[in-house]
Amino acid sequence: MTRTVVPLARERFSALARSPAFTGLALFAIIFVINVLVQGPVKFFTIRNIALLFAKNTPLILVTMGQLCLMLLGIIDISIGVQMSFVNVLAVMLPEYTGMSVVSAWAVAFLAAIVLSTMHGLVVSILRISPLLTSFCMIYIVKGINLFVMPKPQGKIPPVIYRTYDTNLFGFVPVSFLILLAMYFVWFYVKRTAAMKHVYAIGGNERNAFASGINIIGTKLKMYVLEGIYIAAAGFCLTAMSAAGNPIMGESYGLRSISACILGGVSLAGGWGTMACALFGSGFLVLIQNTVFQLFSLLPRIIPGFTANSYWQNLVSDSIILMGLIATVFTNKVQRDAIKAGILKQIKGGEDYGKR
Amino acid sequence: MLEMQGMVKTFDAVVALKNASLSVKRGEIMALLGANGSGKSTLIKILSGLVNPDGGTVLFDGKPLHIRSSADSRKHAIAAAYQDLSLVPAMSVIDNMTLGMEPAGPLGLVDKRRARRFAQGCLEKLNIDCNPGALVQSLMPSTQSLIEIAKAIALKPRLLILDEATASLHSDEVDTLFAVLRELKNEGLGIIMVTHRMGEIYRICDSCTILRGGETVAGGAVKDMDLDQVVYHMTGKKPDTSGMEHHAARKHKEDETPVLEVRGLSITAKLTDINFRSYAGEIIGIGGLDGQGQQEFLRAILGDETHSQGDIMYRGHKLKLHEPADAIRRNMGFISGDRNKESIFPIRSVAENIYAGSSARGLVFSFLSPGTVRRFAQDSVDRYGIVAGGLGKPASSLSGGNQQKLVIGRWMALAPDLLLLDDPTKGVDISTRQEIHRILKDCAASGMCALYSSSDNEELLAISDRIYVFYEGAISAELEGAGLVEERLVAAMLGLNRQEASGAAARPGAATAQPGAARKGAGS
Repeated sequence: MTRTVVPLARERFSALARSPAFTGLALFAIIFVINVLVQGPVKFFTIRNIALLFAKNTPLILVTMGQLCLMLLGIIDISIGVQMSFVNVLAVMLPEYTGMSVVSAWAVAFLAAIVLSTMHGLVVSILRISPLLTSFCMIYIVKGINLFVMPKPQGKIPPVIYRTYDTNLFGFVPVSFLILLAMYFVWFYVKRTAAMKHVYAIGGNERNAFASGINIIGTKLKMYVLEGIYIAAAGFCLTAMSAAGNPIMGESYGLRSISACILGGVSLAGGWGTMACALFGSGFLVLIQNTVFQLFSLLPRIIPGFTANSYWQNLVSDSIILMGLIATVFTNKVQRDAIKAGILKQIKGGEDYGKR
Repeated sequence: MLEMQGMVKTFDAVVALKNASLSVKRGEIMALLGANGSGKSTLIKILSGLVNPDGGTVLFDGKPLHIRSSADSRKHAIAAAYQDLSLVPAMSVIDNMTLGMEPAGPLGLVDKRRARRFAQGCLEKLNIDCNPGALVQSLMPSTQSLIEIAKAIALKPRLLILDEATASLHSDEVDTLFAVLRELKNEGLGIIMVTHRMGEIYRICDSCTILRGGETVAGGAVKDMDLDQVVYHMTGKKPDTSGMEHHAARKHKEDETPVLEVRGLSITAKLTDINFRSYAGEIIGIGGLDGQGQQEFLRAILGDETHSQGDIMYRGHKLKLHEPADAIRRNMGFISGDRNKESIFPIRSVAENIYAGSSARGLVFSFLSPGTVRRFAQDSVDRYGIVAGGLGKPASSLSGGNQQKLVIGRWMALAPDLLLLDDPTKGVDISTRQEIHRILKDCAASGMCALYSSSDNEELLAISDRIYVFYEGAISAELEGAGLVEERLVAAMLGLNRQEASGAAARPGAATAQPGAARKGAGS
């Protein structure tokens, strides 16, 4: 018995090591252990702590999932954060301006997010303008709309929403976790459709995908729509979490979601990665920040007279993230070649297929 | 079944197809032949929807056919296997085989089990031994080629196109493939095959169409044509294989150290056992059909490709280069025909472009005044007759030929000991070409050694002191003195001189495919 088990286990491990999510899993596991040690297992494994971690970070995780949808095509969307704020702004301000019910306001915000990202997708796929450049412009366009609708942080939402968001179902399952689970199931379904095979093919080699008779524009648009759905979900969670509107709060999420994807082992050039990458990558980001925060609150007790402001925390956590990014380059062979190709692809703005 | 008439296609100024036509019948395997740049690939890309023609008609089953995209082409049951592959490396074999035609399960999901069974069936048909779940990038190049073919056959096409699909296959793989092709042919498929292995044509093809310069010049049943005729139509010259094995004695002094000596150089799957020698003041031609390893050879010398075996001796010392910059520091120069990719900085000024090679040699932070750059550039502009609107204008404002002269000026001004030229006159007009040749000959007279790779035979014969001919990653002939005639060059390019002598060597696929052709060629 044991003889057959050992090679099987080894085989399983080597299959895991070759899977795209391996780097992300390794990084996540390391930081998870460190976090538990720093915070102390007794304090970490409390329902309150875990529920708080989920509630605070669900928007980032959802945005990263949306980012992944495009990154598989080799497209980077740095405007994903302000698009999320766009949903937040609409959800808060529509009832105030028009007097419509909160439910219909959120429905409108949901559709608006999808329309926005679809328009973004049209520019990228049909006009073939560099995706990076397009999303850079999108930041200013969407931010402008956000500030026009809501010039300063304001507004409120019905208490029932944020109370529900912060409750634990059966006393131990955070609602935010259920939202994540539901959105993961969206991916679980989409991954098994033909469209997703086409996405991997386009990300892997756009010309070859075209030569295989794949509809490039249609597939790209589908993924932009999917991204829109994730953005809307993230925007709703952001609204429920902050219980107010803020026109620029989401901006930093754009770059953080990109680094989360790369940390998770997604290839910048496209065609390599799964949703697990996005989850591990964003989980790594979340736990790093938590760990460093806990560490800095621990230090004054160990070293008397130690003071440090939050900028120091950022410096430390972001340095660790940088090291994590470097680690992905070395551990992931695909990534190594892909980063080079990915940067080229971003600059050139998509490939032409030799067709004139 | 398929008829193409009067096909016309121009890319910018280059005429790819002038008046090309072909016809394939049901149950026929047709060979599409032609030299480099004769328009074979363009014709095939029109059928597979990668290129839109400027004119001409395509008739399929007597009805006019408009192919605008690959999806269109698939819809009409036309499938192609490409030489440069259309597989996605980071996807599994199953996903690649079923790409674009995934078996649908319930709820719009892909039926994984059916997809696996489908892929396995296709793999078995061609005797491909690989795990269908493996990523394509982890497979051998020849297996990848076979999967590319299997993918095309899996589409159940009525017209199958194989674009040099056998180029990287071994002999047993070719045998299996041919058996499958015969089966398909009996089922009534039309098959178009592009290959440069002449032996394969006589083994499997029924008819052939020969293109030259974008025009169809000949066609008909293969059995009515012998190899000499085929080659004659392809090149406009009669091949001559006589006396190829005997090289004339070398004129060099015995004690002279060659500028470059290559011993047993190999790059896995690209080059095998290259032995090469060149002396100061020589211009060495490197001939061969496209993609026979010439580019890899030049780049291996330059340090841009790592070789798996063999030594490169440069001026008597063993050379170990890590990057092209090392080579430049050792007084080598490299001129590429692919200007846009490998030599020109299009939006920088003419002067900066000319100075680029020189600046690679100095210290990174050494002071460089605009005057120095300008004087240097003006000097080469005057010397090499580059017609520049102004030194400050961007390089992209120059014509293609002048851009190429600019690159040549860049390197000549450095007086390199060894200059590597990879098809430097690609897309350059005849007068500029002669100009470039004159410059090269002048420099060679003053002691430079040049390796000149070109796909143009006339040009090679005109400029070279000796010619090494590459065929399937090995040197098939070394021509010098009286041997420098086009007939022999053409024969060597097609590997006709090698088949009996070194048949078992380099690639088994090539070796077994050739003898039939040779006897046929020699007998006529």
